[in-house]
Amino acid sequence: MSIFPQGAYGAYGAYGAYGAYGAYGAYAGAGAYGAYGAYGAYGGGSENPMLANAFITTHDGITGAQLDHVGTVNPGAADSTENLTRLSAGVRAALYQAELTPTVDVNFDADGDFPQAVLWRRGKEKRGGTVIKQEKMVQMIAPEVGQLQAQMKQVWGYAQIRPDRSSEILTQVSVPAPFFSTIGFMDPARTPYTLEFLYAALAFASSAYQRMKYTLAVKRPIEFSPQLQPMIPTPTHGSLPSGHATEAFLMARLIWKLLRHSNAPQYSDTAYWGEMLMRLAARIATNRTVAGVHFPVDSVAGAILGSTLAEHVFTQCCGGDWWSTSFDGTKFDPNDDLNWHLLYDAATDTMEPSAGEWMQGETQSGDPRFEPSPILAWLWSKAVAEWQDIETGAG
Amino acid sequence: MYNWTDTQTRDDAPLLDEVTDFRLTLAQAQVSEFVDEIWWSVLIEVANVSIDEFEASVVDYGSDLLIPAAYDAADRSREMARQPITIYARKRLIDTLNQADNPHHVVSLHLGAQTSDTYLDFDATSPELTPVTVSDDAVVMAVVDDGIAIAHDLLRKGRVTTRVAHASILEAQPVLGGHSSVGRGLDSEAIDAALDAATFNDLLDEDLFYRSVGIVDWAATAVSTVAARTSHGTHVSGLAAGYPMEAACDNRPVICVALPNPAVEDTTGLDSLPILYLAFHILAKQAQRFCRADGSLVPVVFNFSFGNSGGPHDGTGLFATLFEHYFGDNRQWPGPDQKAWLTLPAGNINLGRLHGVAEEAGPTHFDLSVLPNDQTPTVVQIWMPTGTADSAPGLAQIAVTTPGGQSAVIPTVPGQVASLVNEAGAEIARLACQAGGGVIHRDLVTVSINPTAHLDTPGPNAPHGMWAIDVTRDDGPSEAAIHFWVRRDETLPGTRSGGRQAWFSNPDYVRFDRFGVPLATDPTGTDCPVRRHTTLSGFAGGEAPIVVAAYTERDAQVSLYSGSGPLARRDVPPVPTRDGPDLAAKGDDSYALRGVINAGSRSGSWVRLSGTSVAAPRVARAASDGICDAAGGGRDWSAHAAAQSPFPLADTTTPERAGVGGIDIPIPGFGRPPSS
Repeated sequence: MSIFPQGAYGAYGAYGAYGAYGAYGAYAGAGAYGAYGAYGAYGGGSENPMLANAFITTHDGITGAQLDHVGTVNPGAADSTENLTRLSAGVRAALYQAELTPTVDVNFDADGDFPQAVLWRRGKEKRGGTVIKQEKMVQMIAPEVGQLQAQMKQVWGYAQIRPDRSSEILTQVSVPAPFFSTIGFMDPARTPYTLEFLYAALAFASSAYQRMKYTLAVKRPIEFSPQLQPMIPTPTHGSLPSGHATEAFLMARLIWKLLRHSNAPQYSDTAYWGEMLMRLAARIATNRTVAGVHFPVDSVAGAILGSTLAEHVFTQCCGGDWWSTSFDGTKFDPNDDLNWHLLYDAATDTMEPSAGEWMQGETQSGDPRFEPSPILAWLWSKAVAEWQDIETGAG
Repeated sequence: MYNWTDTQTRDDAPLLDEVTDFRLTLAQAQVSEFVDEIWWSVLIEVANVSIDEFEASVVDYGSDLLIPAAYDAADRSREMARQPITIYARKRLIDTLNQADNPHHVVSLHLGAQTSDTYLDFDATSPELTPVTVSDDAVVMAVVDDGIAIAHDLLRKGRVTTRVAHASILEAQPVLGGHSSVGRGLDSEAIDAALDAATFNDLLDEDLFYRSVGIVDWAATAVSTVAARTSHGTHVSGLAAGYPMEAACDNRPVICVALPNPAVEDTTGLDSLPILYLAFHILAKQAQRFCRADGSLVPVVFNFSFGNSGGPHDGTGLFATLFEHYFGDNRQWPGPDQKAWLTLPAGNINLGRLHGVAEEAGPTHFDLSVLPNDQTPTVVQIWMPTGTADSAPGLAQIAVTTPGGQSAVIPTVPGQVASLVNEAGAEIARLACQAGGGVIHRDLVTVSINPTAHLDTPGPNAPHGMWAIDVTRDDGPSEAAIHFWVRRDETLPGTRSGGRQAWFSNPDYVRFDRFGVPLATDPTGTDCPVRRHTTLSGFAGGEAPIVVAAYTERDAQVSLYSGSGPLARRDVPPVPTRDGPDLAAKGDDSYALRGVINAGSRSGSWVRLSGTSVAAPRVARAASDGICDAAGGGRDWSAHAAAQSPFPLADTTTPERAGVGGIDIPIPGFGRPPSS
């Protein structure tokens, strides 16, 4: 089971309600997290009727006729992050979404020459009372059909290495977290909160990119040629931005931020880890073009969106400056391909101010009155602690 | 319905090469309105004129001719008795040059492949060949192959420092002001600059590097195999010249030519011979740049890991004399003081059923299985015994019968031709005889059959199924065999040209012994005309190259596929100088673990490839250690080296399959240095 539409060909039913998120069997769908499937017994609503009947007869057998004693009970800790560790993972997942989802909004702007999708950042600030402030975070204009037609040459070329990449493509249809765990040492036992953090970010991003895709309605390569014959089913949603690219670059950047904030020496002395994470993200994105379901420009847009959302998720946890970006597909040279180095520098963990006419980025000063979500701040602190070296106390 | 035309005699206008004409005719049928726009690589031999004089004689066809800039002013002014030149030309000129009585001094012609004009640079100027001074123990390693990952760490001596002194990428978009008429030439400075530009945080982004230098172009019709995990040229280069980056190897500079992708979709067939001559010309010139402090030229070891089933297989002809032209004892080429060896594979067609013989008077029958959905033509070469052109014209009658039963027959007299045409009158097969030029001294009959399928219907397709070739030999002065070879047109799975290999499918060919083991040699006393012997690669019959068979290490046997001698008999000079390969090197770890492990397309990756293709570069690697001190030629050295470091093969091994025997050439740690 997976909650993510990119990976949910067989499980769209589960997408209907976030209650399904409680079944962390979603990890099992990704292959390497089978142990998490055990949570399904609690969160997925799959109570055991035989056990319930046994509880009834046990109750009948040992409980007297009257309710004899009700003890002293303290009230619950209202709105306290102290509650979080006592909640099931599914409930926490719902809370993360409750915090993240309202922080953005997407709308369609048809004022310019080309329709564009705008992802707004909704900042909540304390100014006496709570004030909601909307600011543009990601602007996206789709390429024109002619550019996509020109990009078909590249999609056709990439098809030639399908035999090479088929195992990667098929195992990356669902969330490619196991691939990232080949670089960052992630495991449900070792880094449960890191996984929660990443999946919370992915679920949030999923809504955002689906809304962007819906708005821009870019056709898939399969509609441009009967000879392309993608090697996996083409998802029904729009082509740009690529959801896989968005997710992969989002994960890469968030993991890199965790590593950097851990202060563990191996993650601090060079940018190797960040570079490798971004390479992996680029490969995952490119594999979708190899499969025949995306144009290279979709990956470019997805990389921009995913990288920007990573910054956004981080600031929702920790505050600070954030980034706004714009992508103008009409100015993208259709002969070009994804080159993430133009968008982002792993050594400084910052986005580039410009990759050409088609991409602009700008750092935005975080309002000092901005208050990060306590729930998300808690999650970040729990996740980053999983990467810190264990202090032995030895002098 | 198909019909053969009556046998014609081209008395008025004999052709130099029937297959060239057949393919141009097919191209006309496929793309009639564009056929004159197509550029082709063409190998021509001109007699007693220089390139400049040849160019002057075809000045009226100037817009249809491109003489590569690789031929510099000195090359262009040189006059030789016979000089092979690779040109790019269009149909109008090729048709003219293919006339046997052409006034342009062209005495033989060989059509190569269609070449997109996006890869041609009509403004390129000849490269400036500046001297490179290297250490006294240096040996230049020259590799001609397809898909060479030049940024591989085994070919670097530092993070952004290459060991590749020159790389010609023949299927890349030219750059402005370039010195390569086809593709792109990269010197070490250009490679280093591209490495540096693609390195971020000390890590080389190889995907970006290959895109930036034009090696991987996703928008191209056929993408270089460097984009894939396994690439033939990378593996071969790693075996021949790969050294760990940390060792900063400075005495094995690499020069290479990356050939066009064999998967290029040319539905008239594909012949690499012209481009090979150009590749060797480029590298011969590049090799001459390397000298020692005392000014002497540095030895060079070439490796060319390709096989070919075409050619007379007797050491003559353009296939076998390619290397002789540049580095043979009788070369008429600058730099005679440069010691140069070449390692070649014996070829992999031992069990391919691509070769047959008609040895005796009387009839011989071949079933030729032509597969459906074959998108490239099938060509069979039938080489007559030597001397027949003068002494025994019409030694035999060759009949070809379609799967539907229509037959045509021609005598083996040059100029005889019969065509199979369809209802629309389009030619779909041709049976023709031509004179073998130069010292070949054999006549050549070709059977050319159109593709059996074409995506752009309606194509003038030929019928698939069992064709038949029948030979009736008269008693004649020559008792030597008539040899038959099916040209290779198979393409690898995953590539796009869509060729499907035809083969001789005679029912009496015995494939297995009584235990079900494939037979590596022809059964004793067999009457089947389809043979394993004389399956040595058509490139490998020359005098100079070190020809390498493959053995399977665990079994201590010559690998089943490894091509076999002897060469075809010649009753007139020059007689063949070899009976088969010179020696055998490892081509497989075991029957189950096919191939050997070496470089994948990306730094640090290791992949398995099998064949005589991987045996030859292993010998090239050892040859580079021996060439400086060797007193004799490469073949003498190889016999000595095999004796010094033998790998014992089974007692049944014959010289026709393994030359002097096996050689053990360890490459520690797959090319990595021994651990300390």
